[in-house]
Amino acid sequence: MTTPMIRPALLGLMLALTAGPALAETAKIGFNAPLTGFAAADGNSARIGAELAVEQANADGGINGQQIELVVYDDQASPKSAVPIANKLIEKDQVVVGVSGSYSGATRAASGVFQAAGVPYIAAYAVHPDITRSGDYVFRTSFVGEVQGRAGAKLIGETLGKKRVVVITLKNDFGQSLAAGFKEKAADYGIEVVAEYEYGIKDRQFGAIVAKVKDDNPDAIYASGYFFTAAPLVSQLRSGGVTVPVIGQEGYDSQKFIEIAQDNAEGIIITTSLDRDSDAAPTRTFIEAFEGKAGFKADMVAASAHTATNVAIEAMRAAGTTDRAAIRDAIAGLTLEASTGTISFNELGEVQKNVQVQVVQDGDWHRHSVISDAELLAPPAE
Amino acid sequence: MLYLELLIQGLVQGGIYTLIALGLTLVYGLLRILHVAHAALFTLGGYLGVILTNATGSLALAMVLTMLVTGVVGMGVYRVAYQPILDKPPYVALIASIALFIASEEIYRLVFGPYGLSYDAPPLQGVIDLFGSGMYLKQAELLVLAGTGAALIGLHLLSTRTRIGIAWRATVTDPEMAASFGIRTQRVRYLNFFIGSALAAAAGVMVALLNNLVEPTMGSVPSYKALAIIVLGGIGSIRGTLIASLALGVIESFGTIYLGSLLDRDAIAFAFLILVLMWRPQGLLGRT
Amino acid sequence: MGYEITLATSMCISVVFALSLNLITGFCGQISLGHAAFFGVGAYTAALSSQAGLAFPLDLLAAAAAAAVFGFIVGLSSLRVRHDFLAITTMGFGFLFLGVVRQQDWLGGEMGISAIPGSGLSKLGYLGFVAAVAVAVALFSAYLKRSWLGFSFAAIADDEDTARVVALDVARYKLLAFVLGTAIAGIAGGLYAHHVRFISPDSFGFVESIAVLSMVIVGGIGSVPGVVFAALVLTALPLWFQVIEDYKLLLYSALLFIMMQLCEDGIGGLMRRLMQGRRRTT
Repeated sequence: MTTPMIRPALLGLMLALTAGPALAETAKIGFNAPLTGFAAADGNSARIGAELAVEQANADGGINGQQIELVVYDDQASPKSAVPIANKLIEKDQVVVGVSGSYSGATRAASGVFQAAGVPYIAAYAVHPDITRSGDYVFRTSFVGEVQGRAGAKLIGETLGKKRVVVITLKNDFGQSLAAGFKEKAADYGIEVVAEYEYGIKDRQFGAIVAKVKDDNPDAIYASGYFFTAAPLVSQLRSGGVTVPVIGQEGYDSQKFIEIAQDNAEGIIITTSLDRDSDAAPTRTFIEAFEGKAGFKADMVAASAHTATNVAIEAMRAAGTTDRAAIRDAIAGLTLEASTGTISFNELGEVQKNVQVQVVQDGDWHRHSVISDAELLAPPAE
Repeated sequence: MLYLELLIQGLVQGGIYTLIALGLTLVYGLLRILHVAHAALFTLGGYLGVILTNATGSLALAMVLTMLVTGVVGMGVYRVAYQPILDKPPYVALIASIALFIASEEIYRLVFGPYGLSYDAPPLQGVIDLFGSGMYLKQAELLVLAGTGAALIGLHLLSTRTRIGIAWRATVTDPEMAASFGIRTQRVRYLNFFIGSALAAAAGVMVALLNNLVEPTMGSVPSYKALAIIVLGGIGSIRGTLIASLALGVIESFGTIYLGSLLDRDAIAFAFLILVLMWRPQGLLGRT
Repeated sequence: MGYEITLATSMCISVVFALSLNLITGFCGQISLGHAAFFGVGAYTAALSSQAGLAFPLDLLAAAAAAAVFGFIVGLSSLRVRHDFLAITTMGFGFLFLGVVRQQDWLGGEMGISAIPGSGLSKLGYLGFVAAVAVAVALFSAYLKRSWLGFSFAAIADDEDTARVVALDVARYKLLAFVLGTAIAGIAGGLYAHHVRFISPDSFGFVESIAVLSMVIVGGIGSVPGVVFAALVLTALPLWFQVIEDYKLLLYSALLFIMMQLCEDGIGGLMRRLMQGRRRTT
């Protein structure tokens, strides 16, 4: 009677229940990222970065002889989807470590699950401060939003010497935490925040903001966003006649930013983690290998995911066992030279490293400077 | 000066909304369907515009081709999605339309990739100093204003000076009477979808020019905003749609600057909508 | 079993949520495109009140009350506008809710609210509680449908003007439908907050409103068993489709589309027709 609907439903149910770990011979690392939906671009880059790390490790013989498998699920950058995925990774796939290649909302939701289950979880680039506060099993390999914002204040006030700044903020946790950090330290570097404007992640038309900024006439603009919002914003600012320096952050850090904004991208400065002109071997090999694998140039998201996955791999190697607690301790005590710098964690699981400042020159990202003020860049410890 | 600039920016945004909402109001006026999938044609126009311009080097040619192709696709959408369900309750068409829209976003992502496409050499990026005032308008923004005006004039001429246009107005007003006069309802419907979709495609091309970026999800905001606009303007009223679109563009422009700390862009738009509807439930220019 | 338990809990929460919309849209015929906002009001109320010390499950009552108040206000708009206009007005309220929440720091703003206290029950215990709520709501809906109130709702859904002519206080019943439906949605939201323990504005947007409306329509507008079944399946579907991950949204929307073309009265309608078919042959 209701068989037409029941049979496929039962089949699906059976598939779901039996989709358990097939091979116990591989060491599994879980990975959640937005592969569909509005954040698919970043999720895709992150996934390739993580896969690269696993491939490189496997080519080197794996971990203690065992091959590594990356188990990837699409969370659509949604907290609602991230929770069941986290549960699935932990229970069905029996992952030893989890890595988040996703945005803050999803990562925050998943981190609670990983912490409760006692499985280490490493956030690659999500900035929400509460992520590491989930507990001692959660780590983050990139800057907390506030720290990067503070670096931005030093960059603009001291390095560039600009004092009257307009802040344009992307209205989400990423943008707001950056703005908060910036405003916190602005006065220390003699910066006067002339005005602040906000925009939503779906906005691409910034005509009103451009008009108002022209009226404000600042010396510099501190604008947060992702490449798909920042590129139109920067283009529209330049066409509108705003010629002052625009300083962004790692959200811009992608070749796509330059492709979209074209000539308008010249001279744009960002704070980020990936130094294209770096001499460090891990960074150089990552940049080349990534372009070979993906077919397009590396971006910050890919580099961060690569780093986070490598932290997981190195910790698994150091621990020498699949005991989650031992691996957690290994992560906590780790010092690793990765594509995004030297990684080591404080008690909260936050990383302390230098901020790379990159600038667009001749259509490519290049090194501008480095900010290494340890006190300024100190991550939260609780 | 600032206010004038904000106004002009609002009108540019309003122009884009007009081009999108016109197609939607045409469909609703004729079939009483909330054609959410209309935004999918907007996105298609954006993609085709970029691809064809990059391939042929000519924006004009690309624009014409894009409008034609998307118009035809729009007719196909009517034939495949709506015609079979015209006699069913209205929510059926709404859900089918939403499903079609979600599917389209996914298809664009799968076919063109999640990163979006850009022009190799974006046309119309030149800037014009308005009357030497220091207010800059991109050529692309001028195109939006001109295009909107042209579309409205074109529609007006079509509906008052041509046979098919008059047949169309008659069908909208009273389908049975029109049919009894020998007007081919099918033909009117196809024309309706063709024109509406072509206009949406034009809007897509123009937005691509303004941002130099087309993404699979670029239709998501227009999908629901355009609904708000046609309701605001009053169902089936082209003039109402125009006024509502422009008004919304301007309100968003000023609102994001001055009310930005209270509400975000969408909330401002919808707050405006709700206020108007509570005062005039039939929309600004709708008939009771 | 933890994974299955949390999945089952999500499914039961969806059932409560879908049934709440079924009351407004299915029983009373008022199309709502902003139902996720009431879910959100419930979630935020439960989160904040439990963080302030209100014990579970009392904070669920607070959640229901808050959602009902908001629902009453939106319900008032249904007295002004109808059908498509109402659909869009409700959509507008959904955006308005989000717009306000995003800007208020005490509501967590963009950061959302973290560290929401748990229910105090074990995972299995919580599942039991949620399942019990789901069953209770389903029974209530079924009872309501057969009651005088349900009959009045159906009359209004069918033809509002005629209902008014036969002296039905249409306004009062519409408001009642909204208040009941949104209160239950608020409870669902509270259950969600304690389940996921982190909420942010992203989870209560237009997409979620569409998703729950799809459950009601696929289930068959008004059909309680149909909506329950649809809610269960559609919640679990994205996870089953993990196998064909890249295409899951496409498949989901294709499914929805085909369903609208072929059997628009949903699973409930399908079952009804099959049952009638059987009766005729006996």
